[in-house]
Amino acid sequence: MQICASFRVAAYAVAAMTSAWTAIAAEGMDLSRVGQPGNAAEAERTIEIVLGDNFYEPANLSVTRGETIRFVIVNQGEFLHEFNIATPQMHLDHQAEMQTMVDHGMLTATDFEPMPGHTHDYANSVLVRPGETAEIVWRFTGDAELEFACNVPGHYEAGMAGTIEFVE
Amino acid sequence: MKKETLKLSRREALALAGAAGVVTVYPGRRSFASAEGEYDLGIERTRIVIEGIEGDAIAMGGAVPAPTLRWREGEEVVIHATNRLDEPTSIHWHGLLLAGVMDGAPGFNGYIAIQPGETYTYRFRLRQAGTYWYHSHSAFQEQAGMYGAIVIEPADREPVRYNRDYVVVLSDYLREDPNAVLGKLKTDPGYYNYGKRTLVDFFDDAKRDGLGAALEDRLAWGDMRMDPTDLADVTGYTFLVNGRGPADNWTGLYSPGERVRLRFVNASAMSIYDVYIPGMQMTVFAADGQNVQPVKVDEFRFGVGETYDVIVMPKDEAPYTIMAEPIDRSGYARATLATREGDEGPIPPLRPRVLLTMQDMGMAHGGMDMSGMDHSTMNMSGMDHSTMDMSEMDHTGMDMGEAVAGWANAGTPPGAKALRYEDLVSAKANEDDREPAHEIELRLTGIMERYMWSLNGAPFGHGEPLRVAYGDRVRIRFVNTTMMAHPMHLHGMFVELENGQTDRKPRKHVVLVPPGREMSVVLTANEPGEWPFHCHLLFHMEAGMMTRFIVEQASVSIDGGDA
Repeated sequence: MQICASFRVAAYAVAAMTSAWTAIAAEGMDLSRVGQPGNAAEAERTIEIVLGDNFYEPANLSVTRGETIRFVIVNQGEFLHEFNIATPQMHLDHQAEMQTMVDHGMLTATDFEPMPGHTHDYANSVLVRPGETAEIVWRFTGDAELEFACNVPGHYEAGMAGTIEFVE
Repeated sequence: MKKETLKLSRREALALAGAAGVVTVYPGRRSFASAEGEYDLGIERTRIVIEGIEGDAIAMGGAVPAPTLRWREGEEVVIHATNRLDEPTSIHWHGLLLAGVMDGAPGFNGYIAIQPGETYTYRFRLRQAGTYWYHSHSAFQEQAGMYGAIVIEPADREPVRYNRDYVVVLSDYLREDPNAVLGKLKTDPGYYNYGKRTLVDFFDDAKRDGLGAALEDRLAWGDMRMDPTDLADVTGYTFLVNGRGPADNWTGLYSPGERVRLRFVNASAMSIYDVYIPGMQMTVFAADGQNVQPVKVDEFRFGVGETYDVIVMPKDEAPYTIMAEPIDRSGYARATLATREGDEGPIPPLRPRVLLTMQDMGMAHGGMDMSGMDHSTMNMSGMDHSTMDMSEMDHTGMDMGEAVAGWANAGTPPGAKALRYEDLVSAKANEDDREPAHEIELRLTGIMERYMWSLNGAPFGHGEPLRVAYGDRVRIRFVNTTMMAHPMHLHGMFVELENGQTDRKPRKHVVLVPPGREMSVVLTANEPGEWPFHCHLLFHMEAGMMTRFIVEQASVSIDGGDA
């Protein structure tokens, strides 16, 4: 189903506490403008993203429209971080939900409760525990202004947000 | 002694550098052996203008606040402090790890106050990064303007990224001679307490809590010869941001969408603040110069001597007001973040005054149930602040309106998040995981009626110093037996605040101990020397609220240079 992948963790939290699941789904639902999940076999490039406290390397990305990229995301920091491809507004919405998860003990500085029955494939975001590595494959077929960001509370403000520039 | 050699070296250095005239700052390895930065700080009386009114001040490096010293972790710095006053002076590097004699507290670690006309040369290598500050440790000079910020860039990367970097130094300026103030306090400790409770208050209390409770409360206060409005015992201050009064409006510029780093330093003599920026959250990422896990807050309570580093991200052009209200609400410090000079954001009404309860005194164990208080009757919206002309700063006639009960009640709006010490999680794991071998109890004590402040019942010089062995792991338990909060500052080393964290206790150099409460810290005594350990409320320290914290080593070296 076309569930907004970037919100699956947060949605779990919010759904668990009643309310805004549908609202969030509707809000974040313009995922086609962000792009779509890709196939590792079709990836034209592999980019390693290092997560640190609290930064990304590389700090920004350049992609070609329509390109499929396999991201290998290595958390070399001591804290939990996210790699999430979305619009600035989606990130902003997501941050509030992440805060709710923190408030309810579902997300700590180093760990989170994974959503049961979900794998991390075919997503535009992933949470990576310290010392762990994750992968996502994304096709940049959308036309929205994109950022990659960590929405763990405070991390976006600390600077964990990079621009995604489209090049011809 | 050693100073002479350094003076000579300095002359040689000047000659080598070929510098002519007055050199304030000149970098260069050639100039001073291995020192990367060399600075001259003249200390002299001056006149400053606050909100159009000229007054007396003491400047370091020609300015109030003193120039921000921008350094880099790992480098060695040399500072020549020249006393052009007619009294002894000193400069203390607040929060810096250094050899005792370089700490700049007269009477400790072999450091002697700088006499009039003399120059003292400080020299130390920077063993840390972050936001700190420096100030006089002599008499009341700090309050007169001898304070400034220190910014140390890390040797490796910052844990944050930002487009702008501003120091926000809060201070409280008094036009009155501080010595005269202390005299008045000793005669009448309530002299500056404009918010003293009245008979009318008593009847209000009686209506709210019942006559019995009100009477009991009042009798208990009387017993202690204290007053529940004595949160701050000196008022009449003008509150400054970077040396500017509220009407002067210090302004930091930004472009929408930028990340702005604000380095808050509470360089006040006596003022604890609630700090907030209406309409904008702050992400706190360092406390007392030490990085913590980023935490988003709407406000924080700011003890004297503490520092907090925050990131804000103003998304639009609306000017934002930085507000800092002292907890007795006797005024405010204000600054603005704007996209152009001259823009001003709205100034929110002052929050209700905090009224201490017997619980804050640790006297109400089960006796007084705060939850039973009817807060709905406290209508704060009824406060009319529009008629208060703050720029006049005459608060004596001000109706402070309703008060809120309890130290912890900062008047935080519903839904807003105030930083708590429990929110501070060290970014780095604590290096020493040993359980403390022993515990030191430090009672914060005082006799209000005579304005006597002390530690373990003894004013400075009258009690036994605290002694620990080098390398010891020690717990210090603060027991605040007084009705005021005391920002307790240990020189020479960080303490780890026991705030519920296990291996990521935040490292602090000042711990704000609330009235009537206990709080504990642990530390590893790895900085030999005899360090000042005191309440950072200037008048309290001057009244004797200080002791000596001695880290004993088989052979203690108190001579200069680096460890």
